[in-house]
Amino acid sequence: MRRILIAVPTLFILFLLQSYLWVPSYEEQGENPERLNEFIEGSIGDAQILNPVLSADSASSGIESKVFEGLIDRDEDLRFRGRLATHWEIFEEAYFYVNDEAWIPKVGKKDAQGVVKLLRDAIKARIRENAPLFRSLGKIQRVEALPARSFEFSKKDKNAEGKKIAVTIRVAAPPRIRLILKEVDQELFDHLSGLLGREYFSSFDGARFIDILPETFSSKRSAYARELLPATENNPVIVFHLRPNVRFHDGHVFDAEDVRFTYQAIMNPKNLSPRIADYEPVKAVEVLDPLTVRVVYKRLYSPALGTWGMGILPVHLLNSKALRQEAMHRGLDPDKFTLRQSEFNRRPLGCGPFLFREWKADQYIVLERFEDYWEGSPNYKRYTFRIVPDLLTQEMEFYAGTVDGYGVQPHQVERLSKDPAYQSFSGLSFGYTYIGYNMRREPFKDRRVRKALGMAIDVDKIIKYVLYEQGEKITGPFVKQTDFYNHAIEPLPYDPEGALRLLADAGWKKGPKGWLQKNGKRLQFTLITNQGNNLRKAILSIAQNSWKHIGIDVRTDVLEWAVFIQERVNKLDFDALILGWSMGIDPDLYQIWHSSQTGPNQLNFVAFRNEEADDLITKIRQEYDHERQVQYCRRLHEIIAQEQPYSFLYVGKWTAILDKRIVIKEVDPEGKPRYSRIQPTKTGNYTFYFNKWIKLPEVPRFEMEG
Amino acid sequence: MLAFIGRSAIQKIITLFFVSIISFLIVHLAPGEPSQIDPLNPKFTQEVLERFRKEFHLDKPLHIQYLYYYRDLLTGKSVSWKDNRPVLKKIYERFKNSLWLFILGTLITWTLSFPVGIHAAIRRGGLYDRSTTFLAYLLISIPGFFFAYMLIIFVVTHFHVPVIGMETFGISSTGWHWFMDRMWHLLLPSILGAAGGIAVLSRYVRNQMLEVESQDYVRTAKAKGLSPDKVHYKHALRNALLPFVTMFGLILPGLIGGSVIIESIFSWPGMGRMAYEAILARNYPVILAVNFISAILVLVGTFISDLLYMVVDPRIRL
Repeated sequence: MRRILIAVPTLFILFLLQSYLWVPSYEEQGENPERLNEFIEGSIGDAQILNPVLSADSASSGIESKVFEGLIDRDEDLRFRGRLATHWEIFEEAYFYVNDEAWIPKVGKKDAQGVVKLLRDAIKARIRENAPLFRSLGKIQRVEALPARSFEFSKKDKNAEGKKIAVTIRVAAPPRIRLILKEVDQELFDHLSGLLGREYFSSFDGARFIDILPETFSSKRSAYARELLPATENNPVIVFHLRPNVRFHDGHVFDAEDVRFTYQAIMNPKNLSPRIADYEPVKAVEVLDPLTVRVVYKRLYSPALGTWGMGILPVHLLNSKALRQEAMHRGLDPDKFTLRQSEFNRRPLGCGPFLFREWKADQYIVLERFEDYWEGSPNYKRYTFRIVPDLLTQEMEFYAGTVDGYGVQPHQVERLSKDPAYQSFSGLSFGYTYIGYNMRREPFKDRRVRKALGMAIDVDKIIKYVLYEQGEKITGPFVKQTDFYNHAIEPLPYDPEGALRLLADAGWKKGPKGWLQKNGKRLQFTLITNQGNNLRKAILSIAQNSWKHIGIDVRTDVLEWAVFIQERVNKLDFDALILGWSMGIDPDLYQIWHSSQTGPNQLNFVAFRNEEADDLITKIRQEYDHERQVQYCRRLHEIIAQEQPYSFLYVGKWTAILDKRIVIKEVDPEGKPRYSRIQPTKTGNYTFYFNKWIKLPEVPRFEMEG
Repeated sequence: MLAFIGRSAIQKIITLFFVSIISFLIVHLAPGEPSQIDPLNPKFTQEVLERFRKEFHLDKPLHIQYLYYYRDLLTGKSVSWKDNRPVLKKIYERFKNSLWLFILGTLITWTLSFPVGIHAAIRRGGLYDRSTTFLAYLLISIPGFFFAYMLIIFVVTHFHVPVIGMETFGISSTGWHWFMDRMWHLLLPSILGAAGGIAVLSRYVRNQMLEVESQDYVRTAKAKGLSPDKVHYKHALRNALLPFVTMFGLILPGLIGGSVIIESIFSWPGMGRMAYEAILARNYPVILAVNFISAILVLVGTFISDLLYMVVDPRIRL
């Protein structure tokens, strides 16, 4: 008995330990050709739903970018380039109703034909004395009159008692003028009033042309008129010319119907697509022929083009018939079955460079290269997305050779970048961290106080000690590596004395106990941030300490994320907070900075209100010309930097580490492979040429190296 | 006997009902709500958020939500809010992975604790006893995650082999190779999982042995002139084993609980990690299903240990 009790555990443990001999080590893995043809990416979290129309998390979009392909994407310099679309045109159709009561300067009242003639003559005459008008007229390619028409419109509306009833509106629309412009012009109607008279568009009274049944709704006449008979209308149009002979992973040929379907899938309210807001300005997506799609917009909306980087879904697998069949097959109610429930989201199929192979929840997602990819298939045979939920073990797996790339932490970069076995990359990320002040409250109403608070914090020290140098100062809300960012603006200096002077100007003077006070009230507020972000927590203490130094009584609070957002941010119940924004490349700042977005649950929670900024934000949204957009953005940046609604702190740097054996492989015309080192693009994107990467058995030597 | 089974079944169903209500309330008391979208992403409007709430029935009063939820669970229709997959299927997949960890961990615990504990009892007060006591307290007091990290760093930097996950990634192997590779990946997490168990259980074995060894019948056996091995392993051990029989029933809930920390560190796709991630994401259907199933297992476990006790100890009549 005694022997058994000792022998059994000993043998058992020995048996377990010998399994070590069967596991391939880092060196052995390097000799395995199968392993060299696979790229394994480590990730903290799993993807949620692999459908570009439905997903909203970064893990999913990473996979989707490999499986799906959009019409366009951005090249090395962040300019748009064609993918599934070879090229595209953007122009504008503009409309206005003929205002036969308006007095046109010099010529008097005119009917539709008269206005058309007037415009055509003006275009021919090239009136140079009015330069803006001349510019706008120069863009007009065609002018035509549309005849008057009558139609009936019915909708449900609330009556005086708050009950919804059907309302019928009879519209006898006057003739309308259609202008076709070769490029989008947001100032068109502004400039045209130089020709047709300042009041021509604003004095158009649509209410004259409508009849409402029942009559009790007549009070809403002008509201309905604005909706149904807008005096002017800008309809930007994008025509995409699609790439011929592109195939989905199942061999089906991609065409314009797929594009239209993708749009419809987003707009279908049953699908609950988080991207619906991006496509809401679309008026219609029309298929002109199998390789041409025409997208018409309801209004000027310049971020529109960027939205077509969205992965295109295959209509033949997801149309309503296919979904019905799937529902029947799985024994579910076909009427309630939507795209969201489809198995497609767990085994996606697109026309990107990699095709989907397998997904094991919380373990891995395996993709394989698509041999028929239109741009030539990638070098790697497999791409594996591996979920390792712990930062330290990610690093350990990287050492052990079973992870090729992962999101390295700043402190890990320190020790890995010196190792000759690895190559490292770093670049600025698309987001920034800031301290936001609730400008509804004292003392933040005063710009001098906000500026002083910013000046009292030593951002350089934060970058050095909290971020291990993995960050850069930032002065405004645009992505730092784009043209929109105004590099002429100097960051606030670290100057506690200057801060005190500013505060003194604003009336805050040192009191008996060393605290700043004004009218007997101490300068006191609470700075909050969310739980779970150690960087923000560190900044919280640093800010508190720096402010205490100059005599400000700051309390701090760290709140659980959900409470932080729902109880404090959304309800606008805070003094100052530390948060971060992650930004897209597009310079549209409407939701975060426009004064109309300051209500509860909206994103301008600091209540930044500035008329000029509002105007610029709207203009940026409506401007299709890059250069002019840049001008507006730089001015907006200046205003925001002056007003200091946030103390802009820093933009983080991302870092990446790769095995040095991973290189770029290209094949020259004679079929000989050429290897070169992986170089990040100008904007710092090192994975831009991912499809050309391959892992070699040994670290290569490049000729250019001395 | 039958009466006992019937009575206990009814009691347990009532308990289960209360557990279901309480766990439902606790989950809903936690601040924050589930969402498939990030509320701070400027692209998502309030309207989209509202529609999600409606989809999840979150706009309904609590008692209605309760009914909706348990109706779905009991008919097997409950789906995870994160990925729209059936909850029971998800749990089953994860359960299979946790099972191996559980079996190996339990085997290591039980095979090691007994020899260690018995020896300590026999050599009470000696160097061996004292050093195992010290080790046991060390194992109990050392934080699991710290121990795990130390072990991983040691193994990876000295042996250059992967230890994370269920198998070596990127290398597909078959047959015996595959089996051994899996075994290796099982080894570290199950040793870590077992460490605490060994410490506690070996102490428990030691105390049981000591208590039995001081009984009169053991002294009689010694006085009879039986060999010490026979006294310790036949007369004493058999009687000392009694309470451990009941412990078998009580380890059952550990099956579903898994180990959150070990599974997360080793990126083991098990139950514990799933439950933890579900809690962070406020994925109510998964949290409640895991909760409900573990409640059932606890009740079944106590029931089994009651029965076992009755079988091994004829003095007990319930």
